[in-house]
Amino acid sequence: MWNTVFPYLLSGISVGGQYALIAIGYTMVYGILRLINFAHGDVFMVAGIIMVYMAASGVPLWLCIPLVLILTAVIGFVIERVAYKPLRTAPRMSAMISAIGVSYTLQNLVLYVTGGLNQIYPTIPWISDSVTILGATTKMVTVVTPILTLILVVALVQLINHTKIGMAMRAVSRDFETSQLMGIKINRVISTTFVIGTFLAGVASVLYFTNYTTVIQTSGAMPGLKAFVAAVFGGIGSIPGAVVGAFIIGIAENIIKGLDIILFKAGVISGPMGLATFSDAFTFALLIIILAVKPTGLFGEKITDKV
Amino acid sequence: MNKKKIDSATIISAVIVLALYAAVFIAEQLIPATSMLFTVIKKGATYALVAVSMNLLNGFTGIFSLGQAGFMLIGAYVYGIFTIPVASRMDVYQYYNGGLVQFTLPVFAAMLLAGLAAAFFAFLIGLPVLRLKSDYLAIATLGFAEIIRALFQWDKLGPVTNGSNMLRLFPSFNDFNIKNADGTVAVYFSTLVPMLIAGVCIGVIILLINSTFGRALRAMKDDEIAAEAMGIRLASHKRLAFCISSFFAGVGGAMLAMYQTTVQAKSFTTAMTYEILLIVVIGGIGSVTGSCLSSFLFVAASEWWLRFLDQKQMIGDFEVPLLRNGFRLVVFSIIIMIVVLFFRQGIMGTKELPDLIRGLQGKNKGGADK
Amino acid sequence: MSDNVLHIEHLTMRFGGVVAVNDLSMDINRGEIVALIGPNGAGKTTAFNMVTGVYTPTEGHISLMGQEITGRRPDEITKLGIARTFQNIRLFSSMTVFENVLTARHLRRTSNFLTATFRLNAAEEKKMRQETEALLKEVGLYELKDEMATSLPYGKQRLLEIARALSTQPKVLLLDEPAAGMNPQETEELGAFIKQIKDQFDLTVFLIEHHMNLVMGISDRIYVIDFGKQIAQGTPAEVQNDPAVIAAYLGVDEDESGLPVGDPRASAQAAPPEARGPQNAETRGAKGVQ
Repeated sequence: MWNTVFPYLLSGISVGGQYALIAIGYTMVYGILRLINFAHGDVFMVAGIIMVYMAASGVPLWLCIPLVLILTAVIGFVIERVAYKPLRTAPRMSAMISAIGVSYTLQNLVLYVTGGLNQIYPTIPWISDSVTILGATTKMVTVVTPILTLILVVALVQLINHTKIGMAMRAVSRDFETSQLMGIKINRVISTTFVIGTFLAGVASVLYFTNYTTVIQTSGAMPGLKAFVAAVFGGIGSIPGAVVGAFIIGIAENIIKGLDIILFKAGVISGPMGLATFSDAFTFALLIIILAVKPTGLFGEKITDKV
Repeated sequence: MNKKKIDSATIISAVIVLALYAAVFIAEQLIPATSMLFTVIKKGATYALVAVSMNLLNGFTGIFSLGQAGFMLIGAYVYGIFTIPVASRMDVYQYYNGGLVQFTLPVFAAMLLAGLAAAFFAFLIGLPVLRLKSDYLAIATLGFAEIIRALFQWDKLGPVTNGSNMLRLFPSFNDFNIKNADGTVAVYFSTLVPMLIAGVCIGVIILLINSTFGRALRAMKDDEIAAEAMGIRLASHKRLAFCISSFFAGVGGAMLAMYQTTVQAKSFTTAMTYEILLIVVIGGIGSVTGSCLSSFLFVAASEWWLRFLDQKQMIGDFEVPLLRNGFRLVVFSIIIMIVVLFFRQGIMGTKELPDLIRGLQGKNKGGADK
Repeated sequence: MSDNVLHIEHLTMRFGGVVAVNDLSMDINRGEIVALIGPNGAGKTTAFNMVTGVYTPTEGHISLMGQEITGRRPDEITKLGIARTFQNIRLFSSMTVFENVLTARHLRRTSNFLTATFRLNAAEEKKMRQETEALLKEVGLYELKDEMATSLPYGKQRLLEIARALSTQPKVLLLDEPAAGMNPQETEELGAFIKQIKDQFDLTVFLIEHHMNLVMGISDRIYVIDFGKQIAQGTPAEVQNDPAVIAAYLGVDEDESGLPVGDPRASAQAAPPEARGPQNAETRGAKGVQ
């Protein structure tokens, strides 16, 4: 039984870590601007595309990775300045529509550049290597992801709790207007939030696409939505909440992918049920349930953790 | 005060709309049926209905829903499932032994059923979801659409939905044409009928918006607390708007099925909802006229006028740079972002066709006074 | 008592540790104009919000003509006959004056969405429109009926709020600071207007107000609360001479210069001696739930 479940659990933890890194961007932006940044998943996808093109143009991989991360952060910064900043005083619906517009634009730009063809992600040494843990064969990235995720989250929480900009972020997420009156440079705080968020999405893209190996213009949509659900599930605005939510969703999704086999081996069902169809849908069912039962999410009330 | 003027503007608007219908009918008889014009009108009419139904929520009730693709999917499937001729079912449901449903409904009955099914699902999903705040509601309805998409592809429902295989061979718009005994077309209706269906449905939505219920919805959009204090029950009115909007999205889905001649669940993505939302935004959130205009413009531009951007173009010996597959969509995206950022009112703002005419009348009158 | 319209019993509202309204009991009889006064943050609007169903009281009961309404939804309460205006004007901004008032008649409909959409309710709709026009004539807004509600001058917007509330056909009218932002002359006219509509529409009026001239001029009885607790009640004359009221309003040696500069009330009011209190009270920093 364990042997059947373990590989799914393992890839669930790995994907969960990648969702967590994306979810942090959602949750931080929502915490500060009360905006669902629908384009966040597409920035994650664009990071993958940049990597593909950069590697293809002959830039050595060891240089590609930092360059991609920096470029992604720059894109995040620019998107905020161009598409969200002008709408800061507009009704919330306008900013959300703008985010959807940015998402549409990024996807179409990538479609244009790539011609809509699947792009093969470069093979990054070491993390692409195969490894066998407890009898399950997987890529090194599966093991690296949760560890790296936790390191980055701890570093981020330190940054938020112990630096000046972190304090400013906490203040702004608590009360936008008052922080502004207190002389906090709102624009700098918001830009920093976007830079951190997209930087982490860049890291997630390296890990995610090393695992899935192909990138296309729609690659970011589903992981983006799921990461957002993770953020809501954990309690939007809460970083630990987003991380826990992301792991739960990553694991649940992968278990469902293998549910037919697992249930069959356990003797619960006698033939395939096609339950894998619901691996994406389950995430959203979970979302609707949590919103109906506890709209603040798992960690929603602990405001001290909010950013 | 100016009751008479209101009437005349409304009458002029009605005449304009009727003239458009007449023009479409005449054009259909004269211009070859393969013309791009008809493709645009058919798809435009379909999108106009769906966009207006979305506007009913986003623009007139203040509910930010992103579930439109899900309700269209339900409508498209219900229509397809109940109209495939019994004789063709073995073909279509080849993996499911001809499927479970072994009867067909008349086209219009099936469309009505498509709407009712979508409204029923809206009722169910509305119970937990409509209590949520704006952006949570958006993400929950979007999630609902994804769940529906998975459900309709589920192998176990295959005998009804044909699983992940497409539904086809059901009546399409072309079946509205009246044919001679030898199979040639006597009178073309394949463009006029979709225009009529969309027109009747949008007409009903306009009637609703201008009824006492429409005023209650607008009041809720303006100020929920004040609306509730004036005795308007928020929950039931939101549910009403949500179900009616979904009803028409369902009918729109059935129209889309007829337009495409095939239906497959995987094509009803969030991207489709986004596209419709952007149409509503370009037309003007809160304007039915705007949504209709913008639907036709959007479809015409994407299917027809901007097609040249997707191909190499030569001016003399000079090859215009950048033009290749996908450039059209880039230009499109940029236009949309410009509208979203700088022309937030869209084409019409919250104005309608009669308002425009009234504006013109006012101007003429002002000129005469001088 | 048979002519008791609104009965409030031991009403208490707590927000976390804060007690906004503490054991408030009131009785309002048919045809009366009763005012609830008190310094800012005393819990007046919170009391209104409980009566109209916006908040469910932590403790206590409210009944309208013998019928328990505690904790019912705002729309249900309005339907039963309590209508209100808002301290911070909340008109329907996308609508004209006429539509604002007409919309408030929606709750008295007999049509459902189908009969309304397909105009099978034409007779009722026509009647609603005629009644709305008549109401607008009575309150003197008929000439402005096609103006956008939010384009009206401030005083007219307040009037429209009252007209909209009247359109729900209430038995009890709750007015939340109807004279806020009005000049002395407008305030005086408003007082006469409230008396006039009270008689004309057979109303019972329950109001919150800071303009003491208005309160003392039109109220039959006054309840005074401070820090959520009732400190006095009685006729205007009784309340004016009540030492507890004077203490609460004038405070003890509070410096009048503590008045915030540019306070809209400071310029809007001619600051009669009775009205000084609430302004000073603002310096306490207590903030009412609006």
